[in-house]
Parts: sequence; structure tokens; C-alpha cells
Amino acid sequence: MAVQDMTRAERRQARRIRRFDNPWINPKLLWGVGLLITIIAIGVIGRLIWNLDLVFTGSSPLKLPPLGFENLRKQPGVLDHPLGTDGGGRDMLSLIIIGAPNTLFVGLLASLIGMSIGIFLGFSAGFLGGRTDDVIRVGADVMITIPPLLILVVFQSAFGDVTLTMMALLIAGFVWQSPTRLIRAQVLSMKQSGYVQMAQLSGASTFHIMFREMLPNLVPYLFGSFIASVTTSIVTAVGLEVLGLGPQRIPTLGRTIYEAINAGALIQNLWWWWGIPTLLLGVMFIGLLLINLGLDEVSNPRLRKLS
Amino acid sequence: MTDTPDKPVLTLRDLTIEFPTSQGVVRAVKALSLDIHKGRRVGFIGESGSGKTTTALAVMQLLAEPGRVAHGQIDLGGTDILSLDEEEIRQTRLSRVAYIPQGAMNSLNPVMRVEPQMWDGIIAHEGHSDRSELKRRSDEALQSVGLPIHAGQLYPHELSGGMKQRVCIAMGIILNPELIIADEPTSALDVVTQRQVMQTLKDIQRQIGSGLMLIGHDMGLMAQTVDELAVLKDGELVEHGTVRQILEAPKHPYTKDLISSVPLVGGESFLNPDARADAPKRNSSEPLLSFENVRKDYGMVTALHPMSFTLQGDTPQIISIVGQSGSGKSTMGSIMLGFNPPSQGRVLFEGQDVQKMSAVQSLDFRRNVQAVFQDPYACFNPFYRVDHALKFPFRQFGLAQSPEHTRRAMEEACQAVGLDPDLVLSRYPHQLSGGQRQRLIVARALMLSPKLLIADEPVSMVDASLRASILSNIYDLKDKYGISILYITHDLATAYHVSDFVMVLFKGHVVEAGPPKEVIGAPQHPYTQLLIDSIPWPDLKRSWGDGRQDWDPVELETEAQRAAAVYRGEVSGFDLAQA
Repeated sequence: MAVQDMTRAERRQARRIRRFDNPWINPKLLWGVGLLITIIAIGVIGRLIWNLDLVFTGSSPLKLPPLGFENLRKQPGVLDHPLGTDGGGRDMLSLIIIGAPNTLFVGLLASLIGMSIGIFLGFSAGFLGGRTDDVIRVGADVMITIPPLLILVVFQSAFGDVTLTMMALLIAGFVWQSPTRLIRAQVLSMKQSGYVQMAQLSGASTFHIMFREMLPNLVPYLFGSFIASVTTSIVTAVGLEVLGLGPQRIPTLGRTIYEAINAGALIQNLWWWWGIPTLLLGVMFIGLLLINLGLDEVSNPRLRKLS
Repeated sequence: MTDTPDKPVLTLRDLTIEFPTSQGVVRAVKALSLDIHKGRRVGFIGESGSGKTTTALAVMQLLAEPGRVAHGQIDLGGTDILSLDEEEIRQTRLSRVAYIPQGAMNSLNPVMRVEPQMWDGIIAHEGHSDRSELKRRSDEALQSVGLPIHAGQLYPHELSGGMKQRVCIAMGIILNPELIIADEPTSALDVVTQRQVMQTLKDIQRQIGSGLMLIGHDMGLMAQTVDELAVLKDGELVEHGTVRQILEAPKHPYTKDLISSVPLVGGESFLNPDARADAPKRNSSEPLLSFENVRKDYGMVTALHPMSFTLQGDTPQIISIVGQSGSGKSTMGSIMLGFNPPSQGRVLFEGQDVQKMSAVQSLDFRRNVQAVFQDPYACFNPFYRVDHALKFPFRQFGLAQSPEHTRRAMEEACQAVGLDPDLVLSRYPHQLSGGQRQRLIVARALMLSPKLLIADEPVSMVDASLRASILSNIYDLKDKYGISILYITHDLATAYHVSDFVMVLFKGHVVEAGPPKEVIGAPQHPYTQLLIDSIPWPDLKRSWGDGRQDWDPVELETEAQRAAAVYRGEVSGFDLAQA
């Protein structure tokens, strides 16, 4: 049908559909990515322009409010510490510049490791079947019923001080189960599909079938699963840190909240001490959620609406 | 309703339906005008995408967003359908227009017994009534479609496909609608059940005297079922008339195509065997493929009873394996390809056990035994362009000399099956039609020039008008390129034309085998006779679903089970051991 004999409203609708045809230009996805990039940017730009020595205890005056507020002692916020300082004399802005990317790093690393384990185990279970499948499936099912925080609390108290990487590794031990199950189910159904049979007929090796024929079709699921496990990992990490476990000497958002609670920031009305890290965590989760919703719409066109 | 007999139940006037898409507005149905009179059966025939189902959905205002009726009129026995609001159309559905869907297995609620599902319709239209009254009406409806009353107490999974489809018919007619719309009601059923379901539908329609709109693509089925035929192509009504007019003197070339695309047993062949190629030179004196007492069990069920045969493969031959779903024919195919180990016995390819091959032997076996599967939509990896499916095996088997050579081989193969290589090779699978994809799979087999091709229902999911040409592509593989073919199918008419030898399978047993002219042309075993009787012929002289209630496939099948296998003449190069 020719373009010229469409009415104006139809042309507008066609334009909307065209925009909608490129799935990656998805407002939810773009907003989500934007929020996460903002947090990373705070870390990167902050390191360039801010004095990071202010993160040490006693480097600044105590309990100063953010710029434009007053604390209980009627002290106004000062430009040297725009987000205020905590009860230990640390500058909030530098805490965030170092802490926020750290929290995100733990989440990303943990779920990257978890996903890799999940892809490996899921493919093995789905593709090899038999005894291997039984062991992996039962293992994953058992692990999924164990509350991770419980085990991690015991582990971390036993380890004492841990590094960020160590903590990510520990958390990774609890985020591989659901990708394993997801990939196993997908592989099982894909194994029966026509194109996998065709590849077998073409004399393809198992390696080729797994990584060249099946894996590309799994990418949307892997992305979705990855984002979901980043969220889980961050929640777990922050949970541990707020309990006072996790790295003792490295600033993270969770650790800052722990110290704020410990020092009685709630009754002293030092809201910026726990409020700012909480706000940043909120932004992070909303960003991840939006990316997940966006990816869902990208890979599942039926969720996209026309209006 | 106050219709007089000459007043049509459904009138479509200049009906145009549009779907806005990113490429502009697509007209799915263009200025369609048609009447359906009381008590008449009208068939809508056409390829997928010709607008048959869209028209039917528009009659019930069930068009999927963003589709819309652009202009035209739909008049149901004096009511203007398009002016009804949501509540009024809800009242109209089922009570005045009933819809019998394509896949009955997906249309019933799996967690509800059949009876309450039938009551839902009555309650929604007439309000709550006494349970015994509801029960009486659902029993009556079930009986009228030939189901026992206790079927109402069952869950959908306890019913067979044909029974489920009849339950759907019973639900549709429970409120005595003026118009029944049946959208390919038998496309998921095999021929024997199809005949039974269509008989039921015709019977019930005659009893309640409503109009019937039957949507389908099978000319034979239409010829045996409807009074009038409407031929649709790309949303346009190209021909409309009584079945007799259309079958005997089709005017539009597309209608002629549709009629001639249905192969007839004994009719003129749609193939032109010109050249007789020799089989490729073999450096083995062992037979190409042999089954030694092969049996396959799935748990307690024996899908294939012990069977032995030898295919010499010195002259190219087409061996057909014919049977209904569940007869074990596809199991045979996957055993031959080595995808499925036999429970007992051995499958030998040139003297080598298919299950015990070394890596090198296995690659050689894969090169020489190729397959064409039923579903052309699943055979291409959606991630790659379609040439991946042709290029990859060519390289894998060491046939490619250079990228240039691969490209030339692909283009030649495409041309040999009647595809334009520039148009198809650089596309993604979803951009091609089912017919194009199936041809590409045939082209792929051609490029690899195997010694044996296993074609498992290669045309059952392709539009009827394309079946003949794809089959002749496959036939050419034997004729021009000397490839032996095992053709697995449920379609006796095509098997009659293409094959050199036919085996009829029934519940994992060979019941009749021999040259096609004898087995299908003059069947002796009761099961083969049953299969042939169930085929709907596009021929008005052969009566099929004439409403006789004495035709009972269950009884005939029991009889068939008792009868001994019939072995007819021999064909050199293929030996089937008599069980």
C-alpha cells in the first residue's frame, strides 16, 4: 500500500510502529542503562576531581550536614563536604565515590561467576542427560531451597575480614542454581528442535551444536537471567554488609549503612549518613529492574504495546 | 428469529479488513461479498494468509488488534454485527454464531471436566438454571455428536483427539446457533478420524438447520463436505459457486491449480519421469541399508515390531512407508538416521552397524544418509541466514574447494529446486515461506548428493498448492541424481505416484507391502482399505461423509488387527522379510 494515500493519523501510527520495530530503542532499557551508567560515572569522575583521602576516619569534621541543611548543633553544611560527613569524620561524597562502584562490582562479579557456572552445568545437564543430569538437577534443586544469607553469615563470621572478590565468590556459590535450571530446560527443548537435528545430520560436533547452534538462541534468556542474578547478588551483599559482615576496611554502601545504624544515626537525626547510600541502592535496583523489563520486551515482542 | 428460508443467515457486503503495520496498511480481506443461506454449507478455501480465518473472526468481532474492519457490512440474520457493542456481541457469540476452533486439544480447559465447560456457555447466555436441566441439555448435545453420555464426566486429557474435536462441536451447537463457523476443524487429526468428525459436523448441521462456514485448504475435504465453495486468494474472493460448478468447470487459474494439486490414486501422475540416472558408484558390495530384526519399545509400548528388510541401492528407488500417526513410521525414520537406538536388532549401512560407528565412519554415514523433515519452520536456526544450513554441511564433509566453489554449488542447487538464489540465500529463515524453506532443505540434500535420503512427511506442513512441486523436486533427486529415497508419509495418493515399493504400517506391524499399483490401487488388507476409504477425494462421484452412521472406524480397526499381513509382488533391489 502506497504511503501517500494514508491519512495523517495512519502515517503517525506507522511512524510509531517503525520506531517500535527497532527493539533496542526501548525507553525502559535506555532509562535503566542510563541509571547504572550514572552510578559508574559518579565513581569514575569522582576519582578524578575529588580528594579521596577524605574517606579515612578523622579526615574531616564530624557529623556535618549536606549543603543547605543544618544538623542538631545548628552547624550549616559546607562546600568542602557537599554531602556532609559521618560520625567518624569521613566525607560522605568520597564514601559514595568509592563505595557505590564497589557494591555494583560485587554484584556483577558474583553473577558473572554464577552465570558461567550455570551455563556450564545447565548445558552439561541438558545435553548429556542421564546420570550427569540427575546429579546436577538434584544439586541445583537442593541448593535453591537453602537460604543463602544463613550460610553466608556463618561463612563470613568464620573468615573474618574478606576482600570484595572473596565475597563475590562466596555469593556466586548461591546464584548459579536458577540459571542452571533455566538453561537446562531450554537446552532440553532445543535439543529436539529441527535445526539441531539438521546440524547433527551435517556431522557437527557436540561443541559446535552447543556453542554455535544453541547458545546464540539462548542470549535473550542469558541476559535476563544475568540481570536478575545481579540484583540478587547485590541484595545478598548489602544484606551481609548491613549485618556488619563482609569487607571491614573497604567502603561499600552496605558497610556505610551498618556504621550509621551502629553509631545511632537514626536517633541523632543524621539522616544523610544512612539516607544517601540507601537512595543510591534504590537507584541501582530501579535501574536493574528497568533493564530487565526492557530486555523482556526486546526478546518478547508480544509484550510491546502499540500505543 | 424470524427468518424466511430465502433470507440469508449471513451477508457479507464489501467487507474490507485492514492491519496497519510498519510497511503501511495491509489489506487482509478486500471487498468480499457473500451470502450464506440457512441450511447451506459454504467452504472457504485458500492458502494460509488468504484471509479465510480473518473473515471468520470479523464475523464474531474477534479480530486481533490492530486489525479493523475498514468498510463493508456484516449482517447476521438481520443484525448489523459491526454496530453491536461489547455486551451485545457477547450475547450473540455462541447463541447465534458458534465457532469451532482448529486445535480442539488447546481449546478445552484441562482442569475442568467436559460437562461443566459445556454448562458455562448456557449459564453465560441464559443465566443460572437447574443442574438437572443443564445436565439434560449437555447430555443431549453429547449424544447428538455421537459421544457416550459418560464422556461428560471425563477430563479433556482422557479423550482422544477426535473425541475432543466432537466435544467442541457439541459445545458449539448447544444453543442452536444460526451459523456455525468451523476453522479447519480436522487439520490436526488423521484421515480416519477426520472422516468421522466431518460426518458428525454435517449431521448436526443438518439437524439444527443452521448455516455452516467451513474454513480449510483441502480441496478433497471441501468437495465431500460443502454445498458452495468460495475460493480466496490474497484476501480476494476469486471464485464462488456450487461445488459441482467449481470442480467441473473452474474458471479462475488459481482454482484450477488448487484442484490439480490434489493427487489422485490412479489419476494422472503429476511427475514427469524423463531421465533415469544411475545410482552413485559404490565401493562396497554390501547392501545400502538393511534392518536386521529391528524392534523399538518405548517403555511398555512397542512402537515397532521386529522388522527386517534390505535395500540394495544399486538402482535408485523410492520406498514409501505409509501409516497413520502412531503407526511407528517416524520411529523407523529416526532409527535409520541413528538418532534413536533400536531396542533389539541392528541397522546396517553398507555392512556397518549404525550404532557402533567410529568418528570417521560416522561422518561418512552422515554424508551419505541425509533427511528432509516434516517441519520446514524448525529446520533453520533462527540466528543465522539460511545459507548457513547449506554452507555448513558442505564444508563439514570436505566437499568445499573454495568459498567461490561453495557459492556456485549453493546457487546451482537452488536453481535445481526452482528457487532464485539471489532472493533467498541471504535471507533469515522467518523471511521465507514454508514452501521456500522446504525447497531449501531439498537443495541442501542435493548439494551433499547422499546415497540415501529419508524424507519424513516432507510436504504435510506445506500449502496444498505447493505440495506437488516440492514432491517433484524430491522425485528429481532420484531421477536425475540417482539418490535412493525412503518416503515416510500418511498420504497414500502421493505414495502411489512416487514410489517403487509401498509398506503400510499399522501399530508397528507391516500389514500390506508391494508395488504401489497393487497395494494402493487394489488394497486387500482391511486396514489399507480403511485408509483409502477415509481419503476425501475431490470427486463428487465418490461419496464419503454421506452421513451414514454405520461406518465405524473402531470396529474396522479391530477387524484389521485380526487380519494377516498381505505381501504382494516383489521389486528387485528391495527385500522385505515376511513376518
